[in-house]
Amino acid sequence: MGSNQGELLHQVLAIVIKELKILMRDWQALALLFAMPAFFILVMSFALEGVFESGSRDRPIEIMVVNRDGGGVSQGVISDLKRMEGVTLIEFADGAPLSLEKAENAVGKGQVALALVIQEGFSDKILLPPKDTRQKAKIAFIHDPTTNIRLLAGVKGTIQGIVHRRALIAAIPQRLKRALRTEGIQSSYPVGSWSQILDENIDGLLAQATGEDGGQASVEFLNLSPGGAAAGRFPTATEQSIPGYTIFGVFFIVLTLASSFIQEKKDGAFQRIMAAPLTKPAFMVGKLLPYYLVNLFQIALMFAVGVIFFHIQLGNLSALVVVSLALALAANGLGLLVAALGKTEAQVGGWSVLLAIILAALGGMMVPSYIMPGAMKTLSLFTPHAWALAGYHDVMMRGLGLREVLLETGVLLGFAGVFFIVAFWRFRFH
Amino acid sequence: MSGPIIRVEDLRKKYGSSEAVRGISFQVHPGDFFGLLGPNGAGKTTIIGTLTGWIAPTGGRIEILGMDLSSRSKEAKKKMGLVPQGFAFYPTLTARENLGFFGKLYGLKGRHLEERVTYVLGIVSLEDRADQAAGTFSNGMKRRLNIAIGLLHEPALLILDEPTDGVDLQSRNKILETIKRLNLDGVTILYTTHYIEEAEDLCNRVAILDLGKIIALDTPRGLTQSFGKGIIQIELNAAMDESLLRQMETIGSVLWMDEKKRRVHLETDQTASALSQLLEWKEKRKAIFKSLDMMEPSLKTVLIRLIGRSLRD
Repeated sequence: MGSNQGELLHQVLAIVIKELKILMRDWQALALLFAMPAFFILVMSFALEGVFESGSRDRPIEIMVVNRDGGGVSQGVISDLKRMEGVTLIEFADGAPLSLEKAENAVGKGQVALALVIQEGFSDKILLPPKDTRQKAKIAFIHDPTTNIRLLAGVKGTIQGIVHRRALIAAIPQRLKRALRTEGIQSSYPVGSWSQILDENIDGLLAQATGEDGGQASVEFLNLSPGGAAAGRFPTATEQSIPGYTIFGVFFIVLTLASSFIQEKKDGAFQRIMAAPLTKPAFMVGKLLPYYLVNLFQIALMFAVGVIFFHIQLGNLSALVVVSLALALAANGLGLLVAALGKTEAQVGGWSVLLAIILAALGGMMVPSYIMPGAMKTLSLFTPHAWALAGYHDVMMRGLGLREVLLETGVLLGFAGVFFIVAFWRFRFH
Repeated sequence: MSGPIIRVEDLRKKYGSSEAVRGISFQVHPGDFFGLLGPNGAGKTTIIGTLTGWIAPTGGRIEILGMDLSSRSKEAKKKMGLVPQGFAFYPTLTARENLGFFGKLYGLKGRHLEERVTYVLGIVSLEDRADQAAGTFSNGMKRRLNIAIGLLHEPALLILDEPTDGVDLQSRNKILETIKRLNLDGVTILYTTHYIEEAEDLCNRVAILDLGKIIALDTPRGLTQSFGKGIIQIELNAAMDESLLRQMETIGSVLWMDEKKRRVHLETDQTASALSQLLEWKEKRKAIFKSLDMMEPSLKTVLIRLIGRSLRD
């Protein structure tokens, strides 16, 4: 090896060692580099477990059934549903058959995603001619307006298929009788002639028996909200996703805010500000206010895009504003906390991204919390994201007002308070 | 004002178990150009931090224009201007925007603020760059903007921490001229620098710091008279042997010698005769002597004597 290459190698090695030393000295930043993907995998795996495994034998979907019919067809539907893999039917509460009120209550509280109500006279109405629309057999799906439409669609589709099949099996003998009458075939014909009669007429008879309503029994399916929520309108997929995306975006202020403190200290401007005749609270308010306004503008913009391009409905505006004010305060508090705890740019960057993603995943921004396992559901309550999302859902999807979002607003303000107190306590002004 | 501009009594600052400032006391009088000299880690920046209020002292008392800094910090800070060691401004803002922002922190507003901004830009010769982003400036221009921000609110006391560090000679001269003029106009200056010749040229009083303590405080002339002897810096090609060391001790005292025994500081009252003796030995032992450098008594030799090395070593 020539002396030049030797020198080059020496220099490269020196740089590598220097960089490694710097990295090792900022151990928190280094730890975050490893911890971030590990946390991400852990949280996302637990959170998404519901999506990929819900409806499986190990993680069955719980569906409440209120049978107000009691007839043979509805019993058949229920026994078919029970045989479905990945579904657990809940028919009883406290030893008694489920009432509509209890089912609505459970759906409203997010204890189950779906309730099935088999209306009175379902079994009898199935047997009536399908042309009589006033007498249609009815089944209602009760689900919360915030329940993910895409997730529900598959479950509802399967249930509808089972109901149609069972209804058709029940209705075919009646229909066949009607078809025989229409074809002028009398039941009094000698037994030996039936084989020939059926051979000659089977296609026409089956077409009449199954083709009266396109091969389906006449069952009407209704979509209802649980009691207390605005009835008659279910949110669009965009309405469901915009609050989550908004909250996710709002918490990215943590990175911007915390980095600005670190940069200010690095530039030396912080030292000059501390030497100025200025109180620390005044400095903090002046420093945080622009980021708070940025957050509010960000929220307004996200909802404006939703209204203008996707025609989403915002619900009670004053309630929406109150939740937004509290949400932005919590996000700013977290930003200041990261600025107070992070010593270097790398630490601040690592913590900000880690918190933005992990809290969003835990808080139900990426995966609805109702399909998370129990422990994750409980953990999600420790994130401001989950409370902000609940507040927005109450206003935009359940049509609730200011009074109903006071709890969510209060909890968000509580998060903000804790973040600010710890941040002020730990912030290094010197 | 008849009292001191700065009165510091038994100032202390601890960081954990390490004591950065160990009970120092001094006064700076109106019109003073007061220098704080000392090697890195001597405590200069910590002292400036405590004087300007961004570092809380562990003990002691600071008065600025008779106002206790702990109880009347806001009023005291209004009388002080700070020029920190780093470029303490926002690089993405223009010079004018930076000045405007910091001026407002000191309560300047409206036409008065505009006038002051224009005035200080003139003092540091940055009028034609006023609307350029400060981050695009050369180091010299950044240093000048740093000074302009410190001057904006017409402080009675200007504290400058290494204001010429890392700038070219031309910019350095410009900065020094500006500071001299300010002092002549009545602004009291507290100044730290690595450049001993700057302190010698500018300061009427100098405090020499080492390991968080003031080890000498006087006028540069007074310090030189008290502590300044001639120093001969000797560099050898090989380690000093015992016989050469004994010879050297006959013409002066060895102040300092490096670990390899190849660099020696020899202090003497009779620099001329000591040098001629050394030149004679050099002639005889050409192989061992690499260089001889004589320093007449000055602030530099005072520092070498008191601290054991030059500030730049």
